[in-house]
Formats: sequence, structure tokens, C-alpha cells
Amino acid sequence: MVVIAHPAIAEDSMPRATLRAILGMRLQRWPGETPVKVFVLADETPEHATFSKSVLQVFPQQLRMAWDRQVFSGQGQYPEVIASTQEMLARVASTPGAIGYVKASEVTPNVRVLKIR
Amino acid sequence: MCVCSRFAKTTASIALAGCLLSWHTASHALDLLDGDFQLHGFASLTLVSTTDNNLFGQSDNQISKDFSEVGVNASWRLTPALQLSGGLLSRRAGGTDDGGVRLDYGLLDWAPMSSEGGRAGIRMGRIKTAYGLYNTTRDVPFTRPSIILPQSIYFERTRNLTVSADGAEVYVERFGEGGTLSASFAYGQPQTDTEAAKVPLVGLDRPGKLDSKLAPDLQILYEGAGNRYRLAFTALRLDLKYQPGYRDILQAGRFRLTPLIFSAQYNAENWSLTSEYALRRTSITDFGPYFYNGTFNGQSYYVQGTYRLTPQWEALLRYDAFYADQNDRDGKDFAAATRLPGFTRFAKDWTVGLRFDVTPQFMLRAEAHFVDGTGFLAAQDNPNPQALRRYWDNFMLQASFRF
Repeated sequence: MVVIAHPAIAEDSMPRATLRAILGMRLQRWPGETPVKVFVLADETPEHATFSKSVLQVFPQQLRMAWDRQVFSGQGQYPEVIASTQEMLARVASTPGAIGYVKASEVTPNVRVLKIR
Repeated sequence: MCVCSRFAKTTASIALAGCLLSWHTASHALDLLDGDFQLHGFASLTLVSTTDNNLFGQSDNQISKDFSEVGVNASWRLTPALQLSGGLLSRRAGGTDDGGVRLDYGLLDWAPMSSEGGRAGIRMGRIKTAYGLYNTTRDVPFTRPSIILPQSIYFERTRNLTVSADGAEVYVERFGEGGTLSASFAYGQPQTDTEAAKVPLVGLDRPGKLDSKLAPDLQILYEGAGNRYRLAFTALRLDLKYQPGYRDILQAGRFRLTPLIFSAQYNAENWSLTSEYALRRTSITDFGPYFYNGTFNGQSYYVQGTYRLTPQWEALLRYDAFYADQNDRDGKDFAAATRLPGFTRFAKDWTVGLRFDVTPQFMLRAEAHFVDGTGFLAAQDNPNPQALRRYWDNFMLQASFRF
């Protein structure tokens, strides 16, 4: 799995801690003030589980609990759940500030791949 | 104090009005705001039956249906730095809560400072009180480890004082390689204007009224290795004054409660181990001869394990202990001074539970508590302390839905 972002995003890499803060819905802005828009696949999909565990290195149920804690105390929002990899690619390519993930073999040229350091 | 509270209420009202207004044009709003507006909620019903004593209504040797929780919340991200949120809650809980709809929280969250490495901001309005690991979402069944939270720390009967406060909270978060370090400091007006807030402190049928000073609340939280470790420290200070009513036998007394909570959690892929310890310094003064005045340290702790048997099934085992006064753990001194049962001053609760997530939206739970002591029972459901039984069991079934 690789992290993908809208092609206009200036970065080509980011620390894992920052990625966790973005996926944890705590960091809402890219440097340069573009709003972050997070897309994820449903919790029970194998892609989401693999991304959570190996790229983010957070268990998916911990990620879900962190979102729940924020949403139900007025401190944050849920990411937008996307139905398929095709839709993920299309939405990330067309939404400024978007970030998501796909299998490395499915990356298309109209999205930017972010390296995690 | 008044100005601050009024300001908080106004902010909260605006927050809520904003959210409701947006919802009014529902489908359009969702499209127009491109998902920046979200509406969520939950509804839960719990059946309670006890072998003795009453919990959440008349449960002694019968089934009480008087415990239900319904909540709706809306949030609107206006800009990346600004979010407006509001939550309404209706809670029925035996004699302690009648299901009246109230503003659970309503706040404006402004985070002017944000970078790759952290963020800082302020929340204004009615803010959920940071208190241990579970308090900010204590009424949301899906976020709890069990049907009822460990009562030694998350008392249902004194919940109103720590559920949320009107004021402001500043927060700082640092996203580092070693984990996330967060600190928050809130200063706000706790909710003391209900019978439910008053009764656990001064007892039933008191004509007077309880006022609170603005309460400071500090929490430091470290979440390491992708939330594998969660460590927290919370310090809260409540300073409450009792204003006697007409023909009151109580005098103008004062409560000072200073709970300090140490929390630790380890999360593996299929199991979690959680423990919290609270030291509660309590000072009760000036109530006169017809009340139990004194200064003592209360002590609470629990150790809890949860295990995911399959992705849908989770089992729970917990030991939870509460002592109102650590120098009088069995309540003997209290009993001698008041002629009330000593076992009302402690509660030791072994809990086993099972959770079944039928779907991500629908959850069923079953739970059994084997309890020694009645320290966390509410007087509203148990008006005669002499009728309480020291050893009692409690069985609960819960169905919860969320969207």
C-alpha cells in the first residue's frame, strides 16, 4: 500500500507521525494552508487493514476508536469513506488537498505518491 | 463568573444553532459543504436486574428498563482551523435522570497554530470535561469498554459535576516520532443546577442550592507507538458551596474535591489492558452538626482486560474498587459517627461482559457485576440506606444503534 495525494500537493514525503496525525483527523492543513481532505476505505476492507497496520502502524480498531472519541466529544470529524479503489483514485486526483491510499500496483499518473519517512 | 458562563452559553447556543440550521437544508448542505458538515448519533436501551438494591430504577429482583441513552451531534468544519460542534443528549437513568433533552456540548474549536509537528488551539463554549480515559464520551455506548464504566472513577451518581463545563479549554498537541503528547487546560463552570448534582453530595430532600466556582481541569496524555500505549494524568478541582434553603438543617457548607487520576492502557491487536487509579481528596466543612464534615482521601482503581475473540465478539473482565476514605476503608468510623451502614463507603466490583457487534452500527452487550459494598449506588433509587444489602449482583443487557 502507498499513500497518495492530490497532484498539486508540494510534498513528496512526510514523517509517519504527521501521517498518523492526518489520518487521526487531528491535522487539518497542509503547509501552505490547503485544507486536508482524508479518504479511507471501509474498516473491514483488507486494504484498510493493511494500510493501517503496515503503513500507518496503528491497529484499525484503534484508529476507529480515536475517530469516535473525537466525533462524539465535538473535537473532530470522521474521514470520508470511499467505496472502491477506482473511486479513491478518482477522488484523490480531483480533490485539492486530498490524501488516501491504494495498492502500489494500482497507482495512476494523476495522483502524487507520498513517501513515508 | 456569571459573565463567563453567559458567554459560554451564548457560544454554545450559536454553535448548536449553526449546526441545526445547516441540517435544516440537509441534503443540500451536505453537498454544498462537501462533507464538511457531519451529523451523527446513537440510541441505546439497557435492561437492568439486581439481586438486591436498586440501580437505574427499580431493579431489585425485577427488570428495570429505566436506563436509556439517546444522542445526536453535528459538526461543521468552517475552515481548516475552525470547527463548530454541538451535541444533544437525552438520558434516562432511574431516579437520577429523567430523559430531558440537554445540551451535552456546544463549542467552537479554533486551532490557529498547526504544522507538520503539532497543533495548538482553544475550545470555547460547553466543553466535555477531560477526566481519565473515557469521560469525554462517557454516554456513548460504542466508546465504552462495558455497559457501565468502572464506577470507582466514573460515578454515575455524581456525573453531572464532571460531564461538561461552560468555559474555555486551551490545548497543545505534539506529533513526534515517539508518539503524540497532548495537554489541555480547561477553566469552566460545572453543571450544579440539578437535583442529580445536588443529591449525591448533600442527600435527598434538601431545600438549599449548590453553587460552584469556576473549575480548573488539566490533562496530559501520551499516546505512543500508534496508540499501543496511552498514558494520562488528570487533575481537577471542584469548589462547591451550599446555600441553605428555608428551614434547612444544613448550614452554608463547602465541598472541595480534588481528584487526581493516573491512567494507563496497552492495546495489542486482539486485547487491551487498562488501569486507572484515582486519589480523591475531599474536604467537607461548615455544614453544621447534622452532617458528616471532615477531610479525607478517597481512593479508586480498576484493572480491566478486554479480548477480541473474533472481529465481532469481545470479552471483558474487570476488578473495580472504590473507597470513600482510605483511612476508613471498611466504613467503621463512618458507621459509628452516622449510624449508617459502613458498606455504603466502599464498593468492590468484579465484572464480566460480552460485546457482540452485529454490524458496525448495531451492538449488543451482556454484563454481570458481583459487588461487595454499595458505595456507588444513588440515593434517588435507594432512599432508605438501612434497606441496602452489602453483597449484591447486577445483570445487564444492552442494545445500541448508531449512525
